[in-house]
Amino acid sequence: MNIFEEDLNDTITFWEKIKNIFRGKSLWMLHYCTGCGAVELPPTMTARYDMERLGMGPMATPRQADVLLITGYLSVKTLRRVIYTYEQMMTPKYVVGFGSCTLNGGIYYDSYAVINRLDYYIPVDLYLAGCMPRPEAIMNTFKTLENMITKGEANGWKKYVENYDWYRNNQIRSLGEVYVKDEFHE
Amino acid sequence: MNSTNDTKELISILEQSFDIKDFTTPKKNEISIVVDQNNVPTILTYLKDKGWKQLSLVTCIDWIEENKFELAYVLFNWTNGITFLVKTKIDRKNPEYISIIDIFPGARYYERDIHEFFGVKFEGNSDFEKPLFLELWDDKPPMRKDFDPLEYSKRKFPDRKYDVELSKNAVKEVIKEGEINERT
Ligand code: SF4
Repeated sequence: MNIFEEDLNDTITFWEKIKNIFRGKSLWMLHYCTGCGAVELPPTMTARYDMERLGMGPMATPRQADVLLITGYLSVKTLRRVIYTYEQMMTPKYVVGFGSCTLNGGIYYDSYAVINRLDYYIPVDLYLAGCMPRPEAIMNTFKTLENMITKGEANGWKKYVENYDWYRNNQIRSLGEVYVKDEFHE
Repeated sequence: MNSTNDTKELISILEQSFDIKDFTTPKKNEISIVVDQNNVPTILTYLKDKGWKQLSLVTCIDWIEENKFELAYVLFNWTNGITFLVKTKIDRKNPEYISIIDIFPGARYYERDIHEFFGVKFEGNSDFEKPLFLELWDDKPPMRKDFDPLEYSKRKFPDRKYDVELSKNAVKEVIKEGEINERT
């Protein structure tokens, strides 16, 4: 790992780096699947590709999860809930965007209900190419994410705090208001 | 059971008592009628009485050139498995229609759906104006043919910008490198 001699004197950096190593080795991904890419996760989790050998596992609640997977297109209605979910997660938290839909809208580029670009609304640490991505690609991405975390390069959650106003303005422009308001929540 | 004869009889009764503009059987076990808009509640009540107890769908079609909205009611009969389509056209300029929730209470949500996506108002449905799917919608109803989704999407959800020249050059470089590699 990239722990240098001078880090030993700087306790904050030193422990941060040690923590990053541990963070990368046990990732709990939030089981909140939004688009077509979600169907590639079961094969990734089960015996053939066996995600658990990377130290990753599914987690049902946002407060205990580390990784938020946006597995494809994101409708405006879901985006509201995704922002809620993202803000509920504890730091450090990481976001992976699956497929072309999260990158530029994909085949839904002209839809009135689907957003075009995910990193305007929440920070994305890693994009995964493909429509839809194969399990091999997903495994590769998770491995890359792990390496990024151990090296301390996955800093989306810090960016979100630092540039909160920018993200907030983008959210408001597309959503009008971020609050979830429907008759079943009243 | 002889369902064909039954339905023939039913059709003739309907034809005698109402102004049925069109009668077709698009598929086996499917009957479709086009009626005048004033007759729809009566016909639906009659059909419900005859066994078409399930309202499968209420939907709307935008005939923009005719300047009409077409409302389609799909009923299903569990005894003989026959689907009945009752269709009617209403004015597109000021779309208003009568609610059928007294006959089929489940229509409440379909009518809200149609109001949201086409802008048809339903008299008699107390909460047809409540939003159901689109949250904080601020444009014309999106399923109307004159709604431009691309324009809306461009305005609301900004696109990623690509530098075309840069990517062209990048491709050229990759090709060049490939040539060099091939030769060496
Ligand atoms: S990128 Fe393709 S597979 Fe993924 S959500 Fe979009 S359409 Fe579906």
